[in-house]
Amino acid sequence: MTNYKIIWALAFACVLLTAIAPAASAHRVYAQEQVTEVQIRSWYGGGDPIPNADINIYAIKNSEEELYITDVTDEEGLYYFEPKLGVVEYRVVVSQSGHQKEITFNVAGSEGSSEEAELPLSARIVAGFGYLVGLAGFGMYLSARKTK
Amino acid sequence: MHISDGVLSPAVITAGWAITVLLLLATLWWGKKDVDIAEEIPKISVMTGAFFVASLIHVSIGPTSVHLVLNGLLGVVLGTLAYPAIFIGLVLQALLFQHGGITSIGINVINMGIPALIVYGIFKKGYSTGINPSILGIICGSMATMLSAIMLAIVLISTGEEFTEVAYAAAAANIPIMIIEGILTGSVVTFLLKVRPELLPINKEK
Repeated sequence: MTNYKIIWALAFACVLLTAIAPAASAHRVYAQEQVTEVQIRSWYGGGDPIPNADINIYAIKNSEEELYITDVTDEEGLYYFEPKLGVVEYRVVVSQSGHQKEITFNVAGSEGSSEEAELPLSARIVAGFGYLVGLAGFGMYLSARKTK
Repeated sequence: MHISDGVLSPAVITAGWAITVLLLLATLWWGKKDVDIAEEIPKISVMTGAFFVASLIHVSIGPTSVHLVLNGLLGVVLGTLAYPAIFIGLVLQALLFQHGGITSIGINVINMGIPALIVYGIFKKGYSTGINPSILGIICGSMATMLSAIMLAIVLISTGEEFTEVAYAAAAANIPIMIIEGILTGSVVTFLLKVRPELLPINKEK
């Protein structure tokens, strides 16, 4: 009789414990972030988009490159692609009749690449004219020395 | 018109530089025979300056964006010295505007400089046979742009592009530019002939 009592008590304790214990599962759980879409925008200096430009996307994994997508941009110079699962680094080459631009980026934790910082256009124009004046002066100096 | 870095194979880039250096020496030598380069420096500088900023003027018609080149104008006004002027202009554009690549400067100078030399020849020939210089200017201005588009297509064959396809696309995209450059070159020639005819390379040889 006492044996039965002990068994019952144990069984009751088991039920009680399972009710109290937090739910757990015997499966190991995985999660992976995935960026579902990357937008590539291509445009010419001055802001005009490059439509129908050839676009080659290379997936970089373990610093090995593999051609992933070959396509063309849409009317607005845009292209959307879905990254490969587990591959975060990409190299994108956009080209159209001799014009070409290459970008390498990482889709994880990237807020989108910013435009390259450069001097304002007016400053670059002035710089160009400065070089020209300098060159002209140099040329004149040389020819003046020759005539002496 | 400006080919970027990384498009062309090293062989084409090397060939481009070699031809450009040879043509630079040849045009400077030729220019020296015809004119006093020292006297021409201010004119060359002004034209190079115009060429340098011209590529910033965009015309966006239809799906593509094209810009002024002005190589026809340089050819007509500077003669053989247009080649060194275009070289300097393209170096400045590549360094300051990132128009075209640094390595591809050699090829780009060929693409824009050779048409300039060709239209100079046409202008000289046409002028001596007595064709109206204004009309000649229009023809030369637009023809240089068209020739550049064709040369671009020839160069891009080496990258595996279809010649007719690129030539057609480049020529079609540049039709507005051809019209603008034709009018511009025609009016500059007309103006110079009226005001300072000695500024055109034509009168020097008379």
